[in-house]
Amino acid sequence: MAKTPPSAGRPGRQLLVLALVSVILFALTFFSGTAGMSWTERLMPRLGMDLVGGTRVTLLAATEDGQAPSGDALERAREIIESRVNALGVEEAEVVSEGDNRIVVSVAGEPENALRSVGDPAELRFRKVLDQDFGWAPPTGAPDDGTGEDGEEGTDDESEPAEDAEEAEPAEEAEEDTGGTGGQADDQADRDSAGSREWGTVEERRAAVREKISDEAMAAALAIVDPNMADPTVDTDALLEAVRPFGELTGPEVAVLPAKLQFYLPTITCAQLNARPAGSIADPDELAVACDEEGITKYLLDTSKVLGTDIAGADAVLPAGTARWEIALRFTSDGQPKWTDLTREALNNHQATPFDVTQLAMDVVIDEETGEWRFDTSPEAAEQANRYQADVEWLQCGAQSVGNQGNCLVAAVLDNRVISAPEIQAVITGDARIHGDFTAAEAQVLASQLRFGALPLTFEPQEEQTISATLGVEYLRAGLLAAAIGMALVVLYVFFYYRLLGVVILGSLIVSSLLTYAALVVLGRGIGYTLTLAGIAGFIVAVGIAADSFVIYFERLKDEIREGRTPRSAVPRAWIRARRTIITANVVTLMAAVVLYLLSAGQVRGFAFALGLATVLDLLVVFTFRHPLMTMLARTRAFLSPTVSGLGRALELDRAQRARLRAQGKEVEA
Amino acid sequence: MSGETVSPPSQPTGGKRQSWAARLYLGQAGIKIHEWRRRLFVIAAALVVISLGSIAIRGFSFGIEFVGGNAFHVPAEVGTLIEVEEAVADAGAVVVSGQELGGSDPQYMIRTLELDSAETDRIRTELAERFGIDASQISDDRVSAAWGGQVTRQALIALSVFLALVIIYLIIRFEARAAIAAVTSLFLDIVVTAGLYSLIGFEVTPATVIGFLTIMGFGLYDAVVAFDKVHENTKDITASATDTYPEAANLAINQVLIRSINTSVVALLPVGALLFIGAGLLGAGTLKDLGLVLFIGMAVSFYSSLFFAAPLLIELKLRQPRFAAHTQRVLAKRAAQAAREARQREERTARGDAEPEPATRLTLDPALVELAGAAPKVGARPVHSRRSGRRRSSGARRG
Repeated sequence: MAKTPPSAGRPGRQLLVLALVSVILFALTFFSGTAGMSWTERLMPRLGMDLVGGTRVTLLAATEDGQAPSGDALERAREIIESRVNALGVEEAEVVSEGDNRIVVSVAGEPENALRSVGDPAELRFRKVLDQDFGWAPPTGAPDDGTGEDGEEGTDDESEPAEDAEEAEPAEEAEEDTGGTGGQADDQADRDSAGSREWGTVEERRAAVREKISDEAMAAALAIVDPNMADPTVDTDALLEAVRPFGELTGPEVAVLPAKLQFYLPTITCAQLNARPAGSIADPDELAVACDEEGITKYLLDTSKVLGTDIAGADAVLPAGTARWEIALRFTSDGQPKWTDLTREALNNHQATPFDVTQLAMDVVIDEETGEWRFDTSPEAAEQANRYQADVEWLQCGAQSVGNQGNCLVAAVLDNRVISAPEIQAVITGDARIHGDFTAAEAQVLASQLRFGALPLTFEPQEEQTISATLGVEYLRAGLLAAAIGMALVVLYVFFYYRLLGVVILGSLIVSSLLTYAALVVLGRGIGYTLTLAGIAGFIVAVGIAADSFVIYFERLKDEIREGRTPRSAVPRAWIRARRTIITANVVTLMAAVVLYLLSAGQVRGFAFALGLATVLDLLVVFTFRHPLMTMLARTRAFLSPTVSGLGRALELDRAQRARLRAQGKEVEA
Repeated sequence: MSGETVSPPSQPTGGKRQSWAARLYLGQAGIKIHEWRRRLFVIAAALVVISLGSIAIRGFSFGIEFVGGNAFHVPAEVGTLIEVEEAVADAGAVVVSGQELGGSDPQYMIRTLELDSAETDRIRTELAERFGIDASQISDDRVSAAWGGQVTRQALIALSVFLALVIIYLIIRFEARAAIAAVTSLFLDIVVTAGLYSLIGFEVTPATVIGFLTIMGFGLYDAVVAFDKVHENTKDITASATDTYPEAANLAINQVLIRSINTSVVALLPVGALLFIGAGLLGAGTLKDLGLVLFIGMAVSFYSSLFFAAPLLIELKLRQPRFAAHTQRVLAKRAAQAAREARQREERTARGDAEPEPATRLTLDPALVELAGAAPKVGARPVHSRRSGRRRSSGARRG
């Protein structure tokens, strides 16, 4: 135990290691990076958006069952979001995945509002429109809609079904129609649902629905949607009155209802449907219900035969000699035949099997004896829900929902909404074009929605932060000030307590700071580490850790010297014992930092990284700077002088005590 | 705290007793955690009961991150706080609170109920127009209600993983009983810190949760430093019969006390600076939340590592047959020694010698017993001074 470590007598060697590390770090600081960097660029650590101003958006992948998405899917989504951000022309954007279900987009510099939408839902499905319903005024007043009625809900029954639709056709042909204009109405539904982003599991929502919908209401609902169950003695008005409770469901609750009810119950509004959680109708094999962006038209949609992943690209184009924007759609080699088949299906509606509502399975059952209704949670029911039971190749689209030329419409469904429902004008074997009365901006938006529709996940923004440049500077200044005060206090304390030995701490804090700074610059360039306010907090906390390891070492030394050793022999002995404690303590801190970094969410990671980095650097400084310095100091006379070093004072106190004890002992003996 | 630990450099040698600070400095504070065990456990239990009670009854006051909401930072130069609040309300948001934040560039922070992205953007634009400033001068923060939950969920996962790792590490480093004691005291830290938050009503934000996790590191750090010394002092204890485990452990705590105080002070100083700047200068935000939770947590863990973890370790060790038997043996030896001393004293009394030391003291004070042979010890001297003397000699033996 008392063995002197071989290096103890050669402090020079350890200092050399430190010098080497420093030289490498600073060489990297000055000379790494691209050639064109200015000196200030080279010498600036990468500062996070909260210190220089900017925007940060944290997106949480939303899955129906609340499970984490697969790593592949998250990475693909990250790449797509990154390309979206780059498409915005934003420089220096950082898109990183965090944990197993989050993507953080941050841009330092000026606040960038466009960033807010990069994670917008974009699970794209192409579905043939089977039927549509242009808003339907209930017979007795407006339904009392708990999720917020937008008031503009359409009453334009008289409008011709396809009058408002866009058209899709082979790229070469040109035919246009009036297009839908940008949606404002749905914003209202968005806002109203914003408070309820925590929508609970499917089970919880089912329970809530079961609570709100009485047996009578459900019986009436089924009577409306299913001709076989209708009771001829009850008139329609009474039925409609009975299903009014459905209007009080929230979006997330509506999402667990069978598609059949969602579509045919007039009291379920577009506002409710548009407030369904992202991903509610993602299953391509189920029939689905969705509204357009304006919240006017409710569509009953076929299974999805072309997915967002089948799209190779979409661009807003302005054909030469026209003033009308179009969207050019290209398909992947896999997707092209699917699209061709879909257009063929849309064009040959007469060959399709008429849609029979009773064939559409649902998972709501009514007990024949008691009249109570419940969700059928058996696996078979869950499997078959919203699927068409009869084995048919094509389902006919209803007479209400064909375009001007009598062809079916194909809806592009982004998440829960129909963003475009053009009439198919030909069997399209190549690229497709969507015509409509688009403005340039609308065309751009639609094209980008279609282009990035391949996003494999849907996201909910969890945290959006924009920080003005002045506030950022303010934070940076406050952080640095806190760091300076913290360091100054520690240095004052150690000088007070350890006297001139405080120089050793001051020295090692300076060395630590320089190394930390260089590491920040190098890591910022190398792995893109950005220093955030939380990171600064981490470094400040680490000042305590650095001083701690000195305290441990010093107190050990004090023990050894009081046991009567000379400083020269006490230093290596104390070092061996203190080393063990220092390493243990630092390992615990490092462990906390690593666990925090890997598992936590949000700004913690910056904090944890800083704490971990500082702990590692502290170990380096303890081994290669503080210990050799102490070894060298131990050879000086001043080391034990009470006025110069705290060690001397310890000795003096101890001696005084022993002398007193001796004196007392003598007193007694005498 | 720092003031008390520092004594004048030279004590008058003729003084009867050294100052408390000097004794502390020398590791002789006279703390007897092995004897105060029961009392310390009662205090710990009371703290836990109060904390849990407060958490159950009062709960926590959660920040916007947990309920969802927006916060707008508007430069204070645009007008008064009332005007800005009105402007935000006029723009269509429901204002929850308004606050002026300090610093060299003061800002108003207006909190509102949660708005969606488009709405947030619109309000920023409207505010900028109304006050004639650029929209980029207004900062905003929008947090969904789910976010706080997400942060907390991740924090709990991190907590579990960390605890598991730490238990494994401590078992390897010390042994199972030390690991149990350290981790139990960690739980005490966490519960008491949470209890203080609940009792005082400090706002809980995700930054608080983060800080919470960091406390765990510090709580263990303190315990490790203390246990390390205990471990060293008790390493070969069963081989000799001079000290019982509790006594040796207590000695370690006394020796480590000054180190623990120093460690805690140097850890608390930077955190205090963080708190000072965060709460005093900025008024709100990450720095304040982190600083506050770390400050409270570190103070609590300083207490618990010495006055809960160590006695708990002693208690657990005494359940171990080896140490229980050893303690019995030491006490038995001491009783025999005391009996012998008593006999000698009787003989001396019979010879008419003066005997100033009461017999009971001898049986109670092991150090005295040990030193009794070397020099005649008399008078009511602090027990610890002899401890230190013996420790020196044992140290010399080891060397």
